[in-house]
Amino acid sequence: MTTLHTIAVGYDGSPDAEVAVRWAMVTAAATGSRVAVVHAAGLLEHLSTRFSRDETPPAVLELADECGLDIARLSWYVNDGDACSVLLRAGEAPVEADLIVVGSRGQGQHPGLLLGSTSLELVQHSNVPVVVVPLPAPSA
Amino acid sequence: MATLIINELFDDSGHEDPGHPERPERVTAALDGVRDLHLGDDLVIVPARAATRVELVRAHDGSYLDELGAFCYGGGGDIDPDTYATYDSWLIAKHAAGAGLAVIEELQRRKHGVGFVAARPPGHHALKDRAMGFCLLNNVAVAAATLVGQGQRVLIVDWDVHHGNGTQAIFWDNPDVLYVSTHQWPLFPGSGTASEVGGWHAIGQTVNIPLPPGATGDVVRRGIEQIAAPVIEEFAPTWVLVSAGFDAHRADPMANLDLTSGDFAQLAKTVVGFAPKPGRLALFLEGGYDLEALRASVRSALSAVLEGSAQDERPSSGGPGAEQMQKAFDERTAALSMMHDASEGEVEP
Repeated sequence: MTTLHTIAVGYDGSPDAEVAVRWAMVTAAATGSRVAVVHAAGLLEHLSTRFSRDETPPAVLELADECGLDIARLSWYVNDGDACSVLLRAGEAPVEADLIVVGSRGQGQHPGLLLGSTSLELVQHSNVPVVVVPLPAPSA
Repeated sequence: MATLIINELFDDSGHEDPGHPERPERVTAALDGVRDLHLGDDLVIVPARAATRVELVRAHDGSYLDELGAFCYGGGGDIDPDTYATYDSWLIAKHAAGAGLAVIEELQRRKHGVGFVAARPPGHHALKDRAMGFCLLNNVAVAAATLVGQGQRVLIVDWDVHHGNGTQAIFWDNPDVLYVSTHQWPLFPGSGTASEVGGWHAIGQTVNIPLPPGATGDVVRRGIEQIAAPVIEEFAPTWVLVSAGFDAHRADPMANLDLTSGDFAQLAKTVVGFAPKPGRLALFLEGGYDLEALRASVRSALSAVLEGSAQDERPSSGGPGAEQMQKAFDERTAALSMMHDASEGEVEP
């Protein structure tokens, strides 16, 4: 069994991503590992200031607090590219993740198998284990 | 003055998402740039046509084409946070890819002239199995793959400010295509480092020249002359296609390079020098989101390839990038050395 040092988790502000970040943080808190929250900056982000490259979003800090994760073990990365490519690169330096966590569907993603399916592509191409966290089923 | 061959405008108004920078007015601005040249009988417009499935599968997976078509005809929507499609997008994208083929067919028939493909959506981010970065079908790749199928050796010069990851990936291991890209880095899509040099069967046939924010035209030209030109000379292309994005212009909102329309004229003259003979050069519109800059840059670039004199702005110089250029050269040399060593050991790296 390999030791879990760093969990990378994709974050785009969507409810799916929030669920994935929560799962990663709870797991990290339980295993003593670090969490690297990774945001993929797309083409249109050049026109917006939605996510700072330097400062962890308040929503992510709040999640860390809720999940009992020491923020000293939390890192925030904004890297240019599509979500799949950026998360695949999380397995390399500087993040060097041992595990990649994603929500089942990111923001603005088509639910089909081929178009925009970050989670499917990640599973197919990643050199490190990938966890795909589904949204909880709606209560009856 | 040489003849300019362009595609007939296919109605692309149905591929639009309100507020999105990749919009129909971009082609209008590019065509205004053509109109500014007052070419008269030296302008030839070839009829619009859609690329066929047989032509598209030279660059794309059939399953991707099926799903993209079905997605559009289902009403479309957001494919990813950057990329949208509408009901009309499938037909419009097929005509954008077909426009490049039609222009090349006319160049082959005439054996002289220069082609300019003013169509959208752009293509160079589109992977063989995925849309991204505003791109649905990779127009320049479909054209290049068709030429390769005819036994040609194709140089693709990509001067869009963003790295053409889709084009690079499609021809990564193809010895009949040389892909040369100048682009701002880091920037979307994140690929395009100098150490990306091509696959096992095409070692050295990907040439990436990453540029820092603020880089000026002199740095771009120096990169092409010092890093790419020797590779191009050795490759000896029989065709030259240009992914001509104009978003490296200093007025463009999508990036931070500092080029002027005059720089695109200089770049255009450079690529003319890479074409082996008349009638073997075609420019494909990629990015360019400031409409005035796009119009002026198209006007300057096309005037240069047609040996005209229209040039709105002086070429830029004095920006950063000299150190990065040397670093890029060193990274490329190291990557090539590693691959050649592995090659001699007959072990795939």
